[in-house]
This record gives sequence, C-alpha cells and structure tokens, in this order.
Amino acid sequence: MSLTSLDPRVTRLNLPEGEVPAMEPKPVLDQFETYEAFHQKKEGAAYTYVGPVHAPNEDVAFLFAKEQYSRRFACTGLWIARTENIQLTVYGNDGENVYDALRFQEPIERSEQPEAYEIFHLKKRGKAHTHAGRVAATSYLEALQEAKQAFGDKGPIVNVWVVKSKDVLQSAEEDKDMWTTIPEKKYREAIAYKVMDKITKYKEENKPTTAQ
Amino acid sequence: MNELAIKDLLYKLADDQLILGHRNSEWTGFGPILEEDIAFSSMAQDKIGHSLAFYTLLQELGEAEPDTVAFTRNANQFHNSQLVELPNGEYDFSLIRHFLYDNAEIIRFEMLSQSSYEPIAKVAIKLKGEVKYHVLHANTWIKNLGASTEEAILRLQSSLNEALPYALGMFEQSTYEQELIDAGIYAGEEAVKAEWLKRIQAVIEKTELKLPDLASIEPKFGGRYGKHTEHLQPLLDEMAEVFKIDPTAEW
Repeated sequence: MSLTSLDPRVTRLNLPEGEVPAMEPKPVLDQFETYEAFHQKKEGAAYTYVGPVHAPNEDVAFLFAKEQYSRRFACTGLWIARTENIQLTVYGNDGENVYDALRFQEPIERSEQPEAYEIFHLKKRGKAHTHAGRVAATSYLEALQEAKQAFGDKGPIVNVWVVKSKDVLQSAEEDKDMWTTIPEKKYREAIAYKVMDKITKYKEENKPTTAQ
Repeated sequence: MNELAIKDLLYKLADDQLILGHRNSEWTGFGPILEEDIAFSSMAQDKIGHSLAFYTLLQELGEAEPDTVAFTRNANQFHNSQLVELPNGEYDFSLIRHFLYDNAEIIRFEMLSQSSYEPIAKVAIKLKGEVKYHVLHANTWIKNLGASTEEAILRLQSSLNEALPYALGMFEQSTYEQELIDAGIYAGEEAVKAEWLKRIQAVIEKTELKLPDLASIEPKFGGRYGKHTEHLQPLLDEMAEVFKIDPTAEW
C-alpha cells in the first residue's frame, strides 16, 4: 500500500504507507555557505542590507536573493557579498558612535596598492546596515580609519561593516529591466483577495434560523 | 492583418506559459533546497501571470474570458508545445526543460516587443524583464551543474537528449507563418530557432555537456494544433479540479 494524500503530488510519489524509514544520518556541515544581500529601493538610493541566503556560489546567491528579497518590494539593484568577506566592528549601544571607541593599531596585513572598500553603517540597533560610501585603503583596518574620517561623524553609528569592493557582486546596468515591477501582479499578494466582505455576506445569508 | 493569425500566435504563447507554469508549480514544497523552491515557484507564478496577459489580449479579440479559456478546454484544444506538458521528472529534467524553453521564450519576447501589432508589443515590453531573469536562472544552474560532478553531468546530459526532440517541437510553424512574418508581427519560428540554437550552444560550451546533432533529431510536432501526449489531459483535469466544482464562483 502506498500513501494517499489530498495533495495528488504526494500520492504520485508512491511513498510506503505506515512508518517512514529513518533518514540516513547527514554529514556534518552539509549546508551551503551564506551570502548577504543588499538592495536598492529606488534609483540613486543607498544600498541597504536585506538578508542572507544559502548558496553554493555568488552567482547562485544572486539568483536566490533576487527572488527572496526583491519580489514583493520595489527594487532597482542588488549587491551580494559572501558573509565570510564582511568584517565588522564591535556593536555599540543605541546613541553611541562606534568609531569613537575604535583603537587603531598597525594592521598586520596590507595590500601593496590601495584598493576599494565598501562601508556600511548601522545607525540604530534593529535597523538595517546601509551603504555609507567607498574608501581606498590597503587593509580592512585602514578602510575603517578612512571611513571614520570620510563619514564617521554623522550621528550615532552602532556598528560598521567593511567589505572589499571586489568581493561584492553588483547587478548589471544592462539588466535594469529585470527589476521592473509589474503593477498588475496584485493577484500574487494576499492583500488582493478581499475575502472578508464575501465571508460576512455569506454568513449573513446563511444565518442559522432561530429555534422555534 | 488577419485576426485568425494573431489569435493563433496568442494561443500558442499563452498555452505554453500556462502549462509550463502549472508544471513548474508542482515543485512548490518539493524543491531541492528552500531558496530554489521559492525561486522556481515564483517563476511558475510569473509564467501563469504571463499567460493571463495573453489570454486577456485574446479576450479583447472576442475569445472567451481567461478563466474559461484556461480551465474548460480539453487537451486537443490546447496549442502548447509537447515540451511543456511532459511530467517534471527529476530536477535535472525540469532544469533542462526550463533552460531550453526560456531561452526560446526570451527571443520571442524580444521580437514581439518590436511587433507591428501594438497590443502584443506592449505586453512583451512589460514582461520581458521577468523572462530575462528566468533565463539568467536557467543558464546559471546549467553552467554550474553542467560542470560539476559526474552524476550531475550524466543526469543533465540524459535529460537534454530526452528533451531535445520536444524542444525542437516548440518551433512548429503556424498555418499563418508567412502572413505573420510579412505583417511584421515577429520574424517567425525559423528565425527564433536559429537564434535559440546560438544561445543554448553558448551556454552548453561552458559545461561538460554535449549538444547532439540537431539534424539527426526528429522534432515532436503537433502540439500547436491539438496533438498532445497522454500527459496533458491529466494535468488539465488536476489544474481545473477546483474551478469545476463551481465554475460561477467569484474569487
């Protein structure tokens, strides 16, 4: 006997009815690594952190992030960075500026030529990191130092993310049309189904008659 | 312009998208990993949305309303290619079909966005961006998996060999083919096929997969004029199951 379900797709799997055989133990750490996604809500706006995805590489991470994070909101561009490539400062409390607490030491490793780094600021705990700008530096530490000078004195900053620009996959200019939100896709969202009116109407029409 | 020729074109576009959209939606909840499940389901929804856009154009030309057209016809009244109605198989087959189908679909949309028939051109311009993402999704997976493990390569190769006769069936010519070309509606199936071949070759070359000699393959024609495999009618019955409980229900 195979399992029958109300979902015909399940029935078609011909699963044995009754006890499900135990799954083979999974290897440790069989998960894909994580990537962090940043989206741009409208042309010219700063890129903002939107969430992570699991993926085997950054191209696939881009595919996934596009669907998870740009489908229901307006979006005009997407950046992807491997979580491992993002360095971060300690977290400050709300109202503090974390740059004030940074002690800059001589970095251990430096690149020969300065390269570009992207800087993201978290202004308040619970909000999302937002792109503050780009600096040129020979190390993550130096990038932080540069960032402090360039845009570190603008009010509270409770955490900073630093990532090399070359480690950020950016959506292509020629693919702009991929982000066009099609206005007539309301049917994809629960809000388009105004069912409460119908339910109320149905209930009124089908009120149980009071007992005689 | 001959209205029958336009309707013929719209029906095949819309039916392909509806049937493939339904097939792809069968993966919802069964996808290989969560993120891919969501991406594949979203694209399935896009396809059904696109079919709605084309059924709406048909309605403007006097055909029945989209729900009636989608849910009440029998298999022999459908104009989709047989490629899209085949069962999903395992994920390798679904990916290969997605790759072969969407690389043709984007060419149709590019051509139609310049169509002399303005209502089609408007719809194609509006929806093209979504199809572009579908192609990016398909090509990225084929490039990644097609150059990965021996199992992945073998599976994809065998699915490719199995799907190709049906994929070539997508380019079955319309009875109004020359008329459509002459009127500048689009460049016709031969032109779509030639461009499609270039694009799929460019992707396949980046993998360990081999594209068989297409000249030696007999295309599976017939879908455009109601000749289907035994898989379409059960799909239609399942798709329309809820609709048929109460066809007059308001949703």
